[in-house]
Amino acid sequence: MSRYYLAWAKDEDVREKGANGGFVTATLVSALETGFIDVALVVKKKSVYEGIPILTSNPEEVKECAGSLHGTPINLTKYVVDYAAEKRVGLPAKPCDARGIIEQAKRRQVNLDNIFMIGLNCGGTVHPLRMREMAADFYGLDPDSVVKEEIKEGKIVLISKEDEGKEQENWMKIDELEQKGYGRRDACKLCVTKIPTSADLACGNWGSNDTKKTFVEVLTAKGEAIFKNAMDSGYVEIEEAPGEGIEKRKKVEAGMQKLAESWKEKLDEISKLSRSGRFEFYVDALKNCIHCGACKEVCPVCPCEANAKCLDMNDEKDSYVVSMYNMLRIFHLMDSCIHCGECEDVCPVDIPLTLIQRRFSERMQRRLGYTPGMDVREKPPLYETELRWSAEEE
Amino acid sequence: MSGKNPHYTRLNLDGAQRRNRVKEMKVISSICPGCSIGCGLYLMVDREEKKIKLLHRKNSAVNEGKLCTFGTHLPAYYGREAQKNAVGGREVEQKEAVKEAKEKLKGMNPDELAFVALPCTITNEEIESFASLASEFECENISFGFESFFRGIPEAASYIIEKGLPFSEVEAASKIILFFIDPFVHYPLLARRILKAKKNGAKVIEVSFARNERGIADETVLVDPRDMEVERIKENREMFEDSLIIGELTPYTNPQFLLLMLWINASTSSKLFLLKPFLNSTGAFLLGGDFYTKRKKDLFEIIEGIERGEIKALYLLETDLAGVSEEITKTISKLGLLIEQNAYRTALSDIATITLRSESFFMKKGTIVNIEGRVLETGGESEKGLRTLESMGKGRSYDEVHEEVKKRLGLGSTKISEFEVAIKREEKSFELAEPKVEMEIERAEEEGYFLWYKTNPFFWSSGGDMGAIKNFVEISPWAMRKLGLFRDDEVEIVQGERKEKRGFKISELPPNLILAESKLSIKPFKGLLTGVEMRRADIKNKKIEKFL
Repeated sequence: MSRYYLAWAKDEDVREKGANGGFVTATLVSALETGFIDVALVVKKKSVYEGIPILTSNPEEVKECAGSLHGTPINLTKYVVDYAAEKRVGLPAKPCDARGIIEQAKRRQVNLDNIFMIGLNCGGTVHPLRMREMAADFYGLDPDSVVKEEIKEGKIVLISKEDEGKEQENWMKIDELEQKGYGRRDACKLCVTKIPTSADLACGNWGSNDTKKTFVEVLTAKGEAIFKNAMDSGYVEIEEAPGEGIEKRKKVEAGMQKLAESWKEKLDEISKLSRSGRFEFYVDALKNCIHCGACKEVCPVCPCEANAKCLDMNDEKDSYVVSMYNMLRIFHLMDSCIHCGECEDVCPVDIPLTLIQRRFSERMQRRLGYTPGMDVREKPPLYETELRWSAEEE
Repeated sequence: MSGKNPHYTRLNLDGAQRRNRVKEMKVISSICPGCSIGCGLYLMVDREEKKIKLLHRKNSAVNEGKLCTFGTHLPAYYGREAQKNAVGGREVEQKEAVKEAKEKLKGMNPDELAFVALPCTITNEEIESFASLASEFECENISFGFESFFRGIPEAASYIIEKGLPFSEVEAASKIILFFIDPFVHYPLLARRILKAKKNGAKVIEVSFARNERGIADETVLVDPRDMEVERIKENREMFEDSLIIGELTPYTNPQFLLLMLWINASTSSKLFLLKPFLNSTGAFLLGGDFYTKRKKDLFEIIEGIERGEIKALYLLETDLAGVSEEITKTISKLGLLIEQNAYRTALSDIATITLRSESFFMKKGTIVNIEGRVLETGGESEKGLRTLESMGKGRSYDEVHEEVKKRLGLGSTKISEFEVAIKREEKSFELAEPKVEMEIERAEEEGYFLWYKTNPFFWSSGGDMGAIKNFVEISPWAMRKLGLFRDDEVEIVQGERKEKRGFKISELPPNLILAESKLSIKPFKGLLTGVEMRRADIKNKKIEKFL
């Protein structure tokens, strides 16, 4: 079996509604219909700016969730852990979803054998409120008139519904928007994992010349099984991916990675500072922490609950300007942070956690030669003791 | 690359973790009831709506998915013991309890009757229905907790009490005065707006008893708690020119203090923004309507009325009065008739004549108005609480009450959208004579201390096992040395017969000031500071005792 394909949904409706020919939706629907998986974890669209993760065994509900949602930056890892750890679950997984799930599997919070990750190539997501502002301020649209969005060929495309019911395509270059402080979230601008190679399949439009065909890379035996299941049950059609498509996909990925590197220079205000300046930066940002615990709660890598070290060793009666909670979290995530930016998204006092965490963990991960969330067989270096214990017990 | 690996296939879950995992999930878009900001969030509930998990709603126009400590612990708040439908402690069908309540209310003299609802978890529709129910019984003793503030102020100034301002105005302000308010504690979701204003070039000045520990202010005007230098504030009036003054109004606010804020506002070119601790305070002000001028008694007067035996019956709607003051339970027990309608049991439920069970706030269908003036939908589908009220009153449907609410809020036929500030406030000029402000402080004995309650969502709305409540007090290094305290010691705070032991944190505070973020058994004086004594509690560490 080849590793690269062009694939699309057979059902015309799914093909029309889903992104790039609806392959991802059709694969999940077929897996549910045939009993290949128990449930699907999908994001239900409420509007262009809002989606809710739902766990469903209803194929019709999965069909309703077809289409891209770049304005819903949700990491699905904790939903798998909390709701589907003991089920055979299929889900569309962005690279950061896949990486989070892999890290949770290493910490034995989920059973990877039961999780089917239909990976989605990802150029990044946009904060929903920034997307609304963009629609109004840059596209001159009533934000509520936007019915669909896409990111393609370096542009953010907003499709609005005019008064007469006609759909109008409006676009702006991502670069242009981002120079003005809009566009993708900072974490996404800096992310270099654009193709989810730690998932079971990697799907997207990069490498496909046909907007109704998804370029699919089969990455694992599980990926092969769910892909075959979709074909055998007649839900998808496929053809071999052309060689130039594979090359084109690689080029797009490399281009996106290069762009991310350039953002690193632009956004990294910490490295430009002197040692004392950096210290001041950290203190100034972290002193505002109100210890709500939201950053820990949403962290796709953190498996701890109420018995976490960062909570246990922190005493709010201490008068430290920067609390032990923050120090421990930085330390604890140094080897494993996947830089998804969820923590910064939910921080009530806007601490630039993406930048701070990156500053520590990126250098540590480089030194340790470890990239979290990419290979389930790789031990988290600072977690080694626990793993040895586990191996002996087995 | 990934594949089966024996080391990772066995789940490492302890029993507690497994129990916490929700098997089925239903997602409800909701609003945090912790304060008047009204942060949007999602709650994921299981089929029985018992296990609840929180999800950050990043598309919320109010908070962008960000929540304070109270918000992140909201599932525990909703995990409290549910209220029962009961008459005289005997569990009955809801219908029977409602019928009994109606009969009993009918038999009361209107002057002996009072209706109280702190607008924390009640919708606009319930406020309208509750007020209408009080009218049906010709009762003018209806309180939403803030009536006394409307007395003695010009009518033209009442808009400041009634309506807040959109946070965009905070972010755009060039000068912000924090008037005895620590945004990180009192209203954490306000703090990021002030930080944004600072980034935009705003100057932040705080007027307070103590410097903000996070250094949010560029300048601090310290007021000595031993001698409330109100005159100093008055003398520095030019400091308030062209500023946005941010303060707080709670049931404990000293009315004289409010007068001072209004006077500063009236005599300078400033705007005054008063935050409130209860989610739907704005809705209650706007829909309480002319009740504010007509009403006979405010919340504390109603309690005094009960104490004196003038008020014999009380209808409490989703309000834990024992939470306002622990002493109240004793007073309430003097009532001949107590009807408590609530989703959860409170300290008063056991002594209530009739208890009526309503739904949790997240299940309610309805609207609220947040402090910015946004009309927000509560997200649920249940009309149970409203139907209970209406079945005793006019018998209207949800749609009829909702239409009335829209009409009274001046919303007309416009679609409700969280992205619009529908209730706008118009700045008016008014005149106010310079108040002779005597910041009445309960004086403690010589070398006594002053307790400053830094009220916050936990202070007003804690419940269940929320786990994040700060159960210690903050004291000055001077007090620590004076009392000879060591790290794990406790202090005992004393007010007459009342005593309370707490752990402590050392903060940069004036010598005699004590800060508390959680409720102590110390009765708060109606003002900012309460005079107390403080001493070292029994020494736990015997080694240290020997050393001493």
